[in-house]
Parts: sequence; structure tokens; C-alpha cells
Amino acid sequence: MDNNFLVIENISKSFGDNKVLENINLNISKSEFFGLLGSSGSGKTTLLRILGGFEKPDTGRVILDGTDITNLEPFDRPLNYMFQSYALFPHLNVFNNLAFGIKENFTQKEIEINVRDIAKLLSIEHLLNRRIKQLSGGEQQRVALGRCLIKKPKLLLLDEPLAALDKKLRSKTQLELTTLQKKLKITFVFVTHDQEEAMSLSDRMAIMKNGLILECSSPEEIYENPKSLYTANFIGIANIIEIYKKDENFYSDDLGINFKLNKELKNTKTNILLRPEKIKIQSINDLKTSAFNSFSGEILEKSYLGSFTRYEIKINNMIISVLDQNFNSNSNYNFPKGEKVICSWESESIKVLED
Amino acid sequence: MKNKLFEKYFVFSPYFWLVIFFFIPLAIIFKISISVSEWGMPPYQDIFLFDNGFKINTTFENYVYIFSDYYYIGSFINSLILALISTIFCLLIGFPLAFYIATSNIRLRNILLVLVVIPFWSSFLLRVYAWKIILQNNGILNVILLNLGITSEPLQLLYNQYAVIMGIVYTYLPLMILPLYGYLNKFDLNLIEASKDLGLNRFKTFFKVILPLSVPGIVAGSLLVFIPVVGEFIIPEMLGGSDRLYYGKILWEEFFVNRNWPGASALAFSGIIILVLPIVIFQILYSRWSQKNEI
Repeated sequence: MDNNFLVIENISKSFGDNKVLENINLNISKSEFFGLLGSSGSGKTTLLRILGGFEKPDTGRVILDGTDITNLEPFDRPLNYMFQSYALFPHLNVFNNLAFGIKENFTQKEIEINVRDIAKLLSIEHLLNRRIKQLSGGEQQRVALGRCLIKKPKLLLLDEPLAALDKKLRSKTQLELTTLQKKLKITFVFVTHDQEEAMSLSDRMAIMKNGLILECSSPEEIYENPKSLYTANFIGIANIIEIYKKDENFYSDDLGINFKLNKELKNTKTNILLRPEKIKIQSINDLKTSAFNSFSGEILEKSYLGSFTRYEIKINNMIISVLDQNFNSNSNYNFPKGEKVICSWESESIKVLED
Repeated sequence: MKNKLFEKYFVFSPYFWLVIFFFIPLAIIFKISISVSEWGMPPYQDIFLFDNGFKINTTFENYVYIFSDYYYIGSFINSLILALISTIFCLLIGFPLAFYIATSNIRLRNILLVLVVIPFWSSFLLRVYAWKIILQNNGILNVILLNLGITSEPLQLLYNQYAVIMGIVYTYLPLMILPLYGYLNKFDLNLIEASKDLGLNRFKTFFKVILPLSVPGIVAGSLLVFIPVVGEFIIPEMLGGSDRLYYGKILWEEFFVNRNWPGASALAFSGIIILVLPIVIFQILYSRWSQKNEI
């Protein structure tokens, strides 16, 4: 696979004194679904707008399929941009919105065929004569997508593609979007602040913070083996425990227990990550607490989430989150509030954070 | 309860205003326009006579008189052309300005808006008079041109139709900019970016996206300039020459110089009908069109 399809090289951008992007480097492969995830102000949208040609970077280059497009105007770039607000033209109906970008180079007949094809692909054939105001949010999203895809772009940029949809529609559209992308094999780069959305859509994703890319990897890798404290906290629920070297082992003051790591550490003091679903929870009667990788605590809070139950367990000075899968419908399986329990985990589940 | 009553009638106050200051004067003008003129004060006869029984004393002579003389029709046409040209210039200058103001950041926007409105704070007459000083033969503009050697003798800039157009465009420009700004202010700038992203350059984006979506603002601004310019009297009087006669001036002369009140009223009433009727029809058609197109 050509992993230099889209090359982002040393991109920096400031607005006045405000440094929005600092030396961004990314390589994105052909047909990849790539996510840029960050909270607001992380610079993710600015990066997407630079790719779209709406902002000029202060330094650096953008190379798409071997061509330097850094200084090209948006209308000269072989890519399309789907706006968060969709930016559909209110004075045109759905048909003319879809046909907007191909009217110049196609005959009336070709336009007709192309619009019908794309409408069929997105199941919006019945909407072609509607006005934009008559469409629901989901329908507008499809028209916006169709308006871009009809141009057969090499690269499609999506700014918060699902943010304007309600929750139920969002998960349905997520699935449709991935299916569509795999079918068309167009490279998608999208921006989101929603970590769930980023995880479910992306082949690979980059975590952005204050104009920097902290990590760039597959969602699995980022969730399971985050490098930084920020990423660990940002993606999913994280129990972050500060440990330091004590004799042969590592010790946490907060939990008051020893940790056994299957990895040598450079620092004498570090943070470790323990994901809540990696922790096994058992009744205190079933098991004796051992010296390593387990602790006993008291259930402080409990929330039943259907497939899971989330417990907040207090041990010493710290509260640890645990997600316990509800294997059977026997309610006895759940621990009541105030119950003393034993939590344990595999040594491999402990991830050492670099900073 | 008393307040309720007040509120109820307060809502209708614009209509009272319209009746008192538009329809009643219009009716009076119409009444005078169908009166028989005579020497005296007022210089027309009553339309209802009671001396030898009741008699209605009206005539359409005044209308026949003004419509059979090209002097009147011609001046009205001159005024329509003047209004059209001025509106086009106001639009050409006003649109880019309004667009720039609407798309600039909030601080700059407020400063620019104040600059647009500032001329209203000084007297209209003074402002037009200032142009007279600038444009006259030994005025600032001619002095500059002479000193720069662009011209060897003073140019006749004043007292012609070009000076009139310039004066009108200068005076009426804010009336074009403000409604256009009000409309463009709501313009979603993403639409321009979307158009460019879909392959249309700046020029095509203007004609395919910006212009069609600005139609309501353009219509409002153009009407606000066009209608009063047709009857404009002061600017042609102060800056214009004898090369072209305009409706406003003819009306004034007919009334105050010739003391032909019925004739002047017929002229005024015809003017209003000729101007208002097409605009009312246009507004009805336009509102139907814009409803259909949801702009």
C-alpha cells in the first residue's frame, strides 16, 4: 500500500500570536479512513482547512498523490471538503446541489446520470426535487456527502461529519459511512472531538492537543497502549496510578499496594494506566488478597449500564473505576453498594505511561 | 385593561401615520388636480359648487395638458433614467462595500458602519453644497488638476448631468449599503468556501452563490434609492445645469413659478401612480417568487 498518498510535512500555522499548529507531520495511505481527534482549540479543524485550501500554512507542505498542493486554491485541488454545517445552497434544490460541482464539465445528460447514480448510492433518490429547508438533518448530511462524492475526489475531508445528528442516527450513519468508504476506496480524513466516533470510524487516528500531534496509531493501539497521560485520559475511562520504585517492586502510596511490572523502567517514578474493564472483581469471601496486583476495597458507587455495571471502588485514598460485564441475568451477580470486594488484574494489563 | 387598549392601537399607529401623512395629502392633491384653474388665491375653483343648486365642477384638462406636452413627459423620463443610472452606480459601489463590512471582524465592522452613517449627522444641504465648492471652476479638484498639469484650463465639472449623478450617488449610497449589509450580514461564509471547494473560481462563485442569495438585499436597497431619486429636487437644482430637466424641478416650477396648482398636482399625482403601481406589482410578483425559492 502506498502510505505516502497524502503527506503533511512540517505544517505550522499561527493566527497572530496564537500558535495553532506546530510542525505537524503525517503520512496517510491511499483508501485510509483517518481521524483527527482533539478537543476544541487543538488545531484539528485548522489542519483540515489547510488540507482543503481555505487556510495557508505558515510553513510546510501538503503533498497529495505526488503533487504539491500547498499553494493551490480550493477550486484547483482534487479533493473535497464536507462542512460541519453542511453548507448546502439554500437557493438550489437537492438535484442542483448535487450537480453544483459537475455542471461545468459535463453535458446535461451526463449530469443527470451522475446525480441519479450518487442519489441511488446514498438512497436519496426520492429527495431530488426537494428544497434544502425541507430536509431532515440526516438527509442534509447525505446531500452534503453526495455533493462531494459526485466529483470523485482523491481525498474527502470531513469536518465533524456526524456532530449535527442525534445519537441514534449517529451510530447508524457511522456504520454507513465506513461501508461507503470501503466500497468507494476514497481516502477520508475527518475531524472529531468525539472519541467514540473517532474509534469506530478510523483505520488510524491522530490525537491532537495544543497544535501538536501526541500520538498516531490504530484505535486499538491507542486505547490499549497509549503513550501519554493525556491520551490515556482522553480515550475511554482510565485509572491512572502513580507508582514509584521501592526495593525490588513498585509501590503506590494512594492504593497502598505493590505492583509487579513485567517491564523495566527508566524512571523511578511513573504513571501507570489500568483500564476499568481489565479489572476482575470478586467477593471478598471467594479469594484472599495477595501482595501483588490486587487490592481489596469498598464499593462506593454503582451504576447499571445494561451490558456492564460500572463500579467506583474506594481503596485507601483513591477511587478506582471498574467495568464488570454482566455475564448472566442473575442479579446476585451484582455487588451492592458498601460491599467489600477484591479487585485483581493481569500484569500485562498494566500500561506504563511515558509522560 | 387601559394598557391593553393602548397596545392594540399602538400597533396600528403606522397605519394612522400612513393615512394622515400619505393618503389624505394624496387625496388633496388629486382633488386639486381635477379642479379648474383660475387667477386668485387659491388658484383653482372649488370642485363642489352650490350657488345655482349643486354642481360638480371638475375637469381632466390638467392631465390632458401635461400628457400632451413632451416637456413634462420628457422630464419624467429624464428622472427615471437618472434614478436608474444612480441606482446602478450605488449598487456597483455599495455591494462590494456592504459585503466587505459584513464579512470583516466585529470591531472593524462597527467602525465601518459608523463611517457609513456619519454623513447623516450633517445637513444634507451642506453636504451637497460642499460638492459645489469641490467641483466649481476654481474649486479644490480643478486646482489640484491644474497644479498637477493634468489639464491646462479648469474643467467644467459642475452644472451638468454628471455632477447630478455624482451628487445623488454620494448622497444615496448609505441607503443602498445599509439594507444590503443587513442581508449580507446573515450570509453563511461556508457557502462561498463550499462553492470554491466544488471547483468554482471566485468569479463564478459570485454569480452562482453570492449574487442569487443577495437578491432580497439588492431589491430593498435599489428601491430605497430609485424611488426618492425620481422626485429628487435639491441635487439637480444645486449641481445640475440646463442640459437636462428633471421631474422634481419641473414640479416645483409649475407650482411656485407658474402658480399652476392643478397642473402641478396632476403632474405629481401621475408621477406617483406611474411609479407606485409598477412597484406594487413588482413587490407582489417578487414576494411570490421569493416564497417559491425560499430565499
